[in-house]
Amino acid sequence: MQRNKISNEQIKALIITIVIGVGILSLPSDVAMIMGNDGWIGILIGGLITIPFIIMIDRLFKLQPGKTFFQLGKEVLNPIVFQIFLIIEVLYIIILLSYTNRVFADVIKAYLLETTPTEVILMTMLIAISYIARSPIEVIARMAVIICPIIIIFIIFLILINIPNMDITNIYPMFQVGYKEILKGIIAALFSYSGYEFMLLALPHAEDNKKTLSYSLKGMLVVIAIYLIVFFISLSQYGIHQLKREIWPTIAIVKEVDLPGYFLENLDGIVMAVWVMVIYGTIGPYLYSAGTILSHIFQTKVHDIFILPLLPIIYIIAMLPRNLVETEEYLGKTVSYFSIVAIFIIPAVMFLSTYIYNRRNSL
Amino acid sequence: MKKRIVALLILLTIFLSGCWDMVEINQRLFVSSIGVDLHKEEGMNKLLVTFVYPNINAIGKNATEDRKKYIISTSCSSVFQAGKEFSTNVEYPFYYKHLKVLILGEDVIKDEKLTREIIDELNRDTKINKKLLLLVAEGSAKEILESRPPQGQITDGTIYNILRDNRSASRFTPQTLTNMITELDCNGVSILPRARKKGEELSISGAAIIKNYKLIGWIGEKENRAISLIKDKVKQELIDICYNQDILSYTITNVNSNKKIDIDEYITTNISIELEGYLQGYKMDNQVNIFKNEVLLNMERALEKQIEKEIMETLNLLQKEYNADVIGIGECLSKFHPKIWKSLQSNWEEVFPEVKFNVDVKVNIRRTGLTK
Repeated sequence: MQRNKISNEQIKALIITIVIGVGILSLPSDVAMIMGNDGWIGILIGGLITIPFIIMIDRLFKLQPGKTFFQLGKEVLNPIVFQIFLIIEVLYIIILLSYTNRVFADVIKAYLLETTPTEVILMTMLIAISYIARSPIEVIARMAVIICPIIIIFIIFLILINIPNMDITNIYPMFQVGYKEILKGIIAALFSYSGYEFMLLALPHAEDNKKTLSYSLKGMLVVIAIYLIVFFISLSQYGIHQLKREIWPTIAIVKEVDLPGYFLENLDGIVMAVWVMVIYGTIGPYLYSAGTILSHIFQTKVHDIFILPLLPIIYIIAMLPRNLVETEEYLGKTVSYFSIVAIFIIPAVMFLSTYIYNRRNSL
Repeated sequence: MKKRIVALLILLTIFLSGCWDMVEINQRLFVSSIGVDLHKEEGMNKLLVTFVYPNINAIGKNATEDRKKYIISTSCSSVFQAGKEFSTNVEYPFYYKHLKVLILGEDVIKDEKLTREIIDELNRDTKINKKLLLLVAEGSAKEILESRPPQGQITDGTIYNILRDNRSASRFTPQTLTNMITELDCNGVSILPRARKKGEELSISGAAIIKNYKLIGWIGEKENRAISLIKDKVKQELIDICYNQDILSYTITNVNSNKKIDIDEYITTNISIELEGYLQGYKMDNQVNIFKNEVLLNMERALEKQIEKEIMETLNLLQKEYNADVIGIGECLSKFHPKIWKSLQSNWEEVFPEVKFNVDVKVNIRRTGLTK
């Protein structure tokens, strides 16, 4: 068996698990704050915007088959520019990991472990992800294949338990929002879609190069569908005013569940258990990519030596904000700005310069 | 070396395992109902909070104690503060995840500020199940919690069971915390079931009208039934009318109601309600007296007239006396006529009493029971 190859099914699972992260908890409330009942427009358009970039990433590796992201970057770009790109990417990943971990710890603390110190929750999670991040990409892809069905089963479960209490008319009135709000809503939704840039690292390892595009697009469409479902469920369960009030509506709706008989109540424990895995599936691959990028910046052969030194940095940044509001305001906003560079600009620049490079060489 | 590593690993399992938040299940007091009353005293402690929790030792086959529930109360400034006040004289901490019922005393809910404080406290908390059922006590909530149900059984949770079983949903409308907040957000008005004492016994009937987190009036069972019919919340109900000097009983098995709003010069709401059901009882006779189509149709007409009358009276009461949009006309406008709602929203108070209603009830008697 060939080592370090991943199948197309694994690419799809990777995209689903990486893209769905902390964003899913607050996304319905975030877009509802800006766009009201029409938040789904922001989610939908935000998701569709990513599709051309996924196509670009895919084309990039077809223009120069057999080369990795780093080899390509060194060839087609100015080495210094490429180094700057890599450094930006590493910074982005570090801040994203800190932000994700902090939100994760806060949610766990609010719902599950009230008196456990935030530090301990953070540290245990970091140590746990460092294990997966030290593994080669093949292992990460296998992990994604395990976690992906859990997410999908969970979403189906969420729909089923919410049907009896839903008030579908809550999604009206539709199409009341102005263009300005749509734009803001899309930007708010975009962060929830970051993560597919992992394809830059994953695609060169693909077994079957021909069908990667359709599988990765399928993965993205699943993500869009999940976000839309979560938005509509929480909107029809809460109504727009209460939805705006909630910080994490996706968890809170399971507290609304009231099925006949006592046995299905207070399901937040189950949701938290699933959610820990969802977060694990997001930040594990991110930490791996930070290590891989660092190993190329410093030109080492293996990436795992960088994983453990990264942990204290992530931990310190995660502990910087004093409260949840600061977390959202400083870390959250910084990550959003960085993510625009990471998920749009870098893939686009890479694609364009490879395209031009190819043209020049063929002439 | 290997031995050292093994020893280290064994030590690690001791130090790394464990849980800060572990509380044994028998070291928790599961609060099942909370009552909030006004404590007439100067200063911060404006509330008189009553907690009810079951005596775990009195539940199950091998019960060691007789007393089924404990009721304790204290004066304090907020609901959760009460839990801390109690910690001076109860042995274990309280656990709120299984809280089922909250009863607000009449005096408390008449004070908008206090009600808003209590509701926010509960809505914000992560432990409390948001399906918590709310009630308003006519009089004091503490008395309701202390009262005995007619069966004489003193188990805890009677109120919850009465509310939860929608046997007679139209006598009162069970209301959850989230649902009430949503209704207050949309319409500014909501109704909560009324709990009161009939002599020594507890009874839940009728409703309290809450407007902007403030009690503005009570409505009886009949009005509540009419509102339930309009809002399509009736599950099963029995309606008695006088038909040719005899009592005609009609059991409703299914209700289908629709609101449609027409806007021209006035806002006209067309309410159409379709009832399905069967004849429960009329008069014993020697001949076949009911099993004829024209008789049934006549009965249907009579029922329709009576129900329409009840609904119109209730709507009139809501419009003219309370000016309370309980049936959700504002919500309906905001959802299906958003542009008009934007212009009306600010002065909905003045517009609502002018809304016109057309009520169209259609009664179907599908069966006549076992006899002709």
